[in-house]
Amino acid sequence: MSEKKNNQVSRRQFLNYTLTGVGGFMGAAVVAPMVGMAVDPLLQADGSDEFEYVMDVDEITTEPQRKTFYIDQQDGWYDTEAERTAWIYRDENGDILALSPICTHLGCVVDWETGDHDNEFFCPCHYGRYDKNGVNILVHHQKDHYMPMSIVLKTVDYI
Amino acid sequence: MKWMHQDVQNYTKAKEYIDSAIMPLMPFSFEDDDELSKLAYQHEVMQIFMTQIEKQLKGRVFLLPVYNYLKQNKLEDEYERLETVVNHVNEQPFKHIFLFTFDKKWRKYSSKIDAELIWLPAPQQGDLNQVETQQLVQSQVSEIEDLIKEQWDE
Repeated sequence: MSEKKNNQVSRRQFLNYTLTGVGGFMGAAVVAPMVGMAVDPLLQADGSDEFEYVMDVDEITTEPQRKTFYIDQQDGWYDTEAERTAWIYRDENGDILALSPICTHLGCVVDWETGDHDNEFFCPCHYGRYDKNGVNILVHHQKDHYMPMSIVLKTVDYI
Repeated sequence: MKWMHQDVQNYTKAKEYIDSAIMPLMPFSFEDDDELSKLAYQHEVMQIFMTQIEKQLKGRVFLLPVYNYLKQNKLEDEYERLETVVNHVNEQPFKHIFLFTFDKKWRKYSSKIDAELIWLPAPQQGDLNQVETQQLVQSQVSEIEDLIKEQWDE
């Protein structure tokens, strides 16, 4: 008799189970979206490896062209459109190159063939020079910390 | 370089390369309601000039905080205050200091002050979101840039 009673659920236990069950479910319903929102930036796909349309392939010449484009920048919660530029051209082998215009010395914007600098990128700030492949040309009186331009912004691409 | 945490750290490491300081002189005043929008617009355009130039010539130019003054102040007094600022900046040492302003009244001080005072004609009010206005501003930016580069080559 007593064994049989042990297997039965008492009224008090039944109420306990149902209340915690329903309560827990309601709690989860409230908390789940919050958790989702809290980790939201993590759930969204990382756009850093995606390609961005900049120009048509057949427009790309052997002469570097300066192109401006916009990428979506994710700054924690905020999505902003950031302006980027790149020098885009084909090298001798016909491969497409896109170079960042930022001088690796202190961050000025370099220009292609300004003044008497034929076939070179030239930095107006401290007269740094880069050849067509973005490799630094050392000038004797300069310190040797002019580095090659970083090759290819990750997001630069062509269609 | 800007007056910002990260840039200032870079500046202290590369002082010998950053030999030029730029600073806009901006008047403000609530005296005349009609003038408010004009002054605010000029302020906005000047900010664009400065940030664009800083972006292009980041490695050699330090953009100082805006020099603000009350429009109705006597310019003689204001000149003295500006002079202390310029002298202080000169101690760094900066080889070139460029002061930019739309305020005509500064022109008579241009020979007195130990800096290059560049007066720009005040822009006509327009919509800065419009492409034409942006192109106009951009062309002015490259002219100012050339002006700075010419000073460097001297």
